[in-house]
Amino acid sequence: MNLYEFEGKNIFSKFGIKVPKSVLLRREDDIEKKYHELAIKSVVLKAQVLSGKRGKNNGILFASNIEEVKEAVEKIFATNIRGQYVAAVLMEEMLEIEEEHYLSIIYDTNKKQPVLIYSKEGGMDIEDVPHEKIEKHLLDIRQPEINFDIPFAQELWLCFLQSDTRLVEINPLVKTMSGEFVAADAKVAIDDDAFFRHKDWAFEPRTMLGRLPTERESAVGKIDEGENYYRGTAGKYIEMDGDIAVLFSGGGASIANMDALMKVGLKPANYTEYSGNPPREKVAQLAKLVLSKPGLRGLWIAGGVANFTDIAATFSGIIDALDEVKPTYPIVIRRAGPNEDEGKRLMRECAERNNLNLKIFGKEVAMGATATALVDMINSK
Amino acid sequence: MSILINKNTKVLVQGITGKEGQKASAAMREYGTQVVGGVRPGKGGENVEGVPVYNSVKEAMSAHPDISTTTIYVPPFAAKEAILEAIENNIAIINTIVERIPIQDTAYCLAAAKEKNIRLIGPSSLGYISPGEGRVGVVGGPKILADEVFQPGSIGLISRSGGMTNELSWQIRKAGLGQSTAVHVGGDLLMGTTYADLLKLFEKDNQTKAVVIFGEHGGGYEFEVVEMIKNKEFTKPLAVYVGGKFATLFPEGMNVGHAGAIVGRGQSAEEKEHALKSVGALVADTYEELVEKIKIYA
Repeated sequence: MNLYEFEGKNIFSKFGIKVPKSVLLRREDDIEKKYHELAIKSVVLKAQVLSGKRGKNNGILFASNIEEVKEAVEKIFATNIRGQYVAAVLMEEMLEIEEEHYLSIIYDTNKKQPVLIYSKEGGMDIEDVPHEKIEKHLLDIRQPEINFDIPFAQELWLCFLQSDTRLVEINPLVKTMSGEFVAADAKVAIDDDAFFRHKDWAFEPRTMLGRLPTERESAVGKIDEGENYYRGTAGKYIEMDGDIAVLFSGGGASIANMDALMKVGLKPANYTEYSGNPPREKVAQLAKLVLSKPGLRGLWIAGGVANFTDIAATFSGIIDALDEVKPTYPIVIRRAGPNEDEGKRLMRECAERNNLNLKIFGKEVAMGATATALVDMINSK
Repeated sequence: MSILINKNTKVLVQGITGKEGQKASAAMREYGTQVVGGVRPGKGGENVEGVPVYNSVKEAMSAHPDISTTTIYVPPFAAKEAILEAIENNIAIINTIVERIPIQDTAYCLAAAKEKNIRLIGPSSLGYISPGEGRVGVVGGPKILADEVFQPGSIGLISRSGGMTNELSWQIRKAGLGQSTAVHVGGDLLMGTTYADLLKLFEKDNQTKAVVIFGEHGGGYEFEVVEMIKNKEFTKPLAVYVGGKFATLFPEGMNVGHAGAIVGRGQSAEEKEHALKSVGALVADTYEELVEKIKIYA
């Protein structure tokens, strides 16, 4: 999960990384009170959004009296920053900048270990900094102590390790006129799978799309909660603009099938994937939520030849949803694997009793070809 | 010949008394693989369908010094400890099925494994299968279904996805061909055994005449393959499908599909395809096409 700047900075300060003095403004806050609380005349007002480029999109404004502050805050809350929801405005002291550096730690997937990246030329995208001006140091994940002549390197490394992050980035890392280093920005991504050792992780809801989660997305997120979170996951649900509901089995199949769907010219209403032999109840909850979206024109349920997923059990979950919703639009299913005959029999019975317009395929037809079958059914309606 | 496993491979199951561990133990034995022991602290002396259970990996190793492969079936929060225990006891290959292991734990295990030249396959790997030789993990499912999908042949298969390992193996079989070894490398950001690691093994394997890869957008693993082909370290025909073209609809950094499929700059499906094509790899537009492209080399 990506964190907002203010959340990242809260974590940074716990590890001794200096951040500018600030207060956080929410939509309902009394701006004047907060401005006086900060008690600094010249301030920067920064939109709290999940992805960059806010500087170029009027997401960062400057002010030096209450009128200017009010105007700027109003402007930022009303701005659409590349489709991103502005969760808050961070009001910070204006730094007197002498130099802008860059510092980050990420996983180098080829070396399979973390790498620290530092440049004395920060403030811009690191991709735009010439190679010879970037220092890279591979880090041993088993060694919490490092020794580089780089400001905040040790602090950031401890932050990376102890906060279970996938990425920490300070850009710019500002050297002020008084010679002090301050993290002027914070980009932090935490590793959701490490939640069990971070009882303090209670972040406000968000999606990776930068917008707030829809009701359906929040509801799907709850299905996997609890002590059996890793056992057969209901997986992911991302709401999209199209009108074809999809229910895919397995991460790889879901990716291949999304590509196949676009290729035949259909538009997904959602991206959804379940995997790891989930129980009937989890699948039923997921399927009901997928089918609850208004304006659907078709449903595509597809997966490969399963290894050990019980097809009858997962189909039973889907059937629970179909019995309730009774869709009138075309439905195409492609799936094979353990217990497939029983699964197909149950599905056919469900189609019959609910008078569904449903076609079901097994492994004799490849997944992609069944997307074409769905197109044909939609067009012949 | 096959890679990673043969009829003589002796396998340990860590977490053998759990539901998934039992299932995996049964699946391997059913396919003819020698599961010689299991581990579950506190349950030493018991047995699971005739397979002896030990309190620790060390105990298991002293009873069966020829164990060369272990499989990890424990919850994600216990995975690091289990993998490190296997590494301490010098088991050459560690297959980890566990999903949702914190990245930091994986990185820690990989660092420890590297020092001892131990191979980690996974995390999030259902395992691998060499038709007629044996399987580690649960790839292929119940034997009766696995036998419909797998038969000995000349195609090596590598997949980021467990479901697609089976699905693609089926496409290979449907075309009248067979597999040398099919490996599910797992979908995590950090992969213990990469495409490049396996291509080195497939290059040396006489049974393997060609290789197919089911890849995904995100991560830089395909670029290692590009380098290998450039340096003539891999010279056999290779067909690759890189899924996730639709992901351009989402912003950078978004995680769709597997955990590893975080799209960073320069790592989109299109960019990977372009690099692979430039060194002569066969790039499939859909996964079904992989077999079409590789058929003539089998």
